[in-house]
Amino acid sequence: MRRVVADLIAFGRQYMRSRIGAFFAFAFPLILILLFGAIFSGQGSTQIPLYVQDLDGTLTSQSFVAALNNTKVIEYHQIPTNVDILTYIQENAINTALLVPAGFEAAILRNESVNVTLYGDPTLSTYGIAASAVSGAATAENFRIAMAFPVIRMDTHRVTQTQFKFIDFFLPGMIGFTVLTNALFAMTPTAAEYRTRKYFKFLATTTLTKGEWLLAKVLFYTIIMTASALIMFTVSALVWGGQAVLTPVTFAFIAAGCFEFTSLGMALGMYAKDVETASAVANAIGFPMMFLGGTFFQIEAMPPIIQGLATVMPLTYLNEGLRATMIFGNETRALLYLGITVALGLAFFLVPAKLLSWKSK
Amino acid sequence: MGAGDLQIEVRGLTKVYGDLRAVDGVDFEVRAGEIFSLLGPNGAGKTTTVEILEGLRDPSAGQARVLGVDVRDGYGKIRERVGVLPQDFEPFDRLRPPEAIAYWAALFNRRITKSEVAGLVETVGLTARAKSYSMHLSGGEKRRLGIALALVGKPDLVFLDEPTTGLDPGARRDLWGLIRQLKAAGKTVVLTTHYLEEAEQLADHVAIMNKGKFVARGTPDELIQRHGRGTRVVLAGAGERGLRALTARAIPARLEDGDVTVNVEAAAEVRTMLAKLAAIDVPLTEIYTRRDTLEDVFLRLVGARMREGVLAE
Repeated sequence: MRRVVADLIAFGRQYMRSRIGAFFAFAFPLILILLFGAIFSGQGSTQIPLYVQDLDGTLTSQSFVAALNNTKVIEYHQIPTNVDILTYIQENAINTALLVPAGFEAAILRNESVNVTLYGDPTLSTYGIAASAVSGAATAENFRIAMAFPVIRMDTHRVTQTQFKFIDFFLPGMIGFTVLTNALFAMTPTAAEYRTRKYFKFLATTTLTKGEWLLAKVLFYTIIMTASALIMFTVSALVWGGQAVLTPVTFAFIAAGCFEFTSLGMALGMYAKDVETASAVANAIGFPMMFLGGTFFQIEAMPPIIQGLATVMPLTYLNEGLRATMIFGNETRALLYLGITVALGLAFFLVPAKLLSWKSK
Repeated sequence: MGAGDLQIEVRGLTKVYGDLRAVDGVDFEVRAGEIFSLLGPNGAGKTTTVEILEGLRDPSAGQARVLGVDVRDGYGKIRERVGVLPQDFEPFDRLRPPEAIAYWAALFNRRITKSEVAGLVETVGLTARAKSYSMHLSGGEKRRLGIALALVGKPDLVFLDEPTTGLDPGARRDLWGLIRQLKAAGKTVVLTTHYLEEAEQLADHVAIMNKGKFVARGTPDELIQRHGRGTRVVLAGAGERGLRALTARAIPARLEDGDVTVNVEAAAEVRTMLAKLAAIDVPLTEIYTRRDTLEDVFLRLVGARMREGVLAE
């Protein structure tokens, strides 16, 4: 064990002194937690600006615009009636604008249909929100004019005990992401470097075994990833009021994830021609996994084919397992995913354990 | 193990890669406390030979015993007694020399105190550089650190694979001093090199290797005596005129780069020959005697000179 500890300390010193390692272990996830937390914290204005040109100017059209404003979803801005709406949109770089046509009230009084026109780019999310708001206001006005009321209504019910925020769903993904980036992205070039710079051969002249060397790396990443997760957890709780919990299974996931991705990194590093190739290989495998493994986006929201791909991503089970234990308290599911993570780790571990030879041919 | 005991015994050692016989049936032994040098050009098979002896490669045929055990299956018993400085050694970039030494000591299951580490740093002359990361050390300093790592396990046997390759002459001579200290401390050293002068200066026994085979083996003096041309008297700048003058007096001589050289078989005849030559009126800039070196022996045996490990035909 003394040899493992010595190797762990020596490796750790070099890793932390490289600064890049320390940045990706601690600073980078912290930046993401702060950044994403700020974006999705719900603080500040969440209303989207909607520019309205009311060419009718009647009580009915004003009532419709007022109903729209009452949705609290849009921030109302008026477009003068004496300008062309398309010219105004172009000159003022407006994303979404609504035209209430002249004759709006008269048409309603005649019991005729009348259209309001929404201008904008349908690919923007703000357009979709504005369209929903306008549609909602139109429905409300239609009911009012018809002197009717909606028969079917929607009620909501929370499935989680606690009122979780976006940051709570984001935190487990960030822990999984950090384990992936550190263990995989660092270990692949490290294994290639040890091979090309003949460190393996030099180590073979000592009493250190290859199993001890592998174990030291897994332990090192488990230690720093645990520290990194604790920092992320503390920041998300203190700064954003996050309420996800750290359970014992969380730490088991961190250890299993480090085992899994350190082993995968070593396996890939065994094959890479040099350090640069190893980094490219790690990126080529790690980046798709980062996005498809449910770090930033919900897997359920992805197209079916992508969801299928997500099921073969090792990171998926780490991220979803962490969410199961940290947010939903679903330990059964968490333990199932933990088992999958450990099994994949073992499979990856056997590759370098078998391939990595202290001896030359 | 006492001085003079066999520490390495090699019989018919062979390593084959496809059609290439990298090591082709070599025999030798190394005794305790001596410096044994494998001398030869790049690709001669030196590193392959020592890596077999270090337990890093398996031989294709033949026997190799190190510290009494077969290298194929017994290395686990002697690993702690063997120190190695590999060819092209590169230390770990972001470890300081004392950290690297303490780390390596642990890998040899050795508890080492701070003062022992400092002592070893001093032995290899790196005290002034103790706070620098290894990646900032010069080439010579890196090799010194490598030697410190090879010694940290307190080995009986030390392999130094081309320890001075690529170093400037000053750094090379500094390392020679360090290697002599190892011998003085009773260590057995196996030194591979392609520097003839290095082998001649340091080694008790030399094996000249070329194309996987030993071309010659013995002490430097034995090799020079056996394969050299004895002592020569050199009439520097004597030129064609000098050669004619000597030939006219039935003294066998050769013209080499404007100098006339006369071979003297026995050392006792040098004085007589010098007196004889001094009596002849020959224009010259200087007269001196020259004894063959390992370089001359190498040229004679291999048929080519060697520059930085490369044979110049």
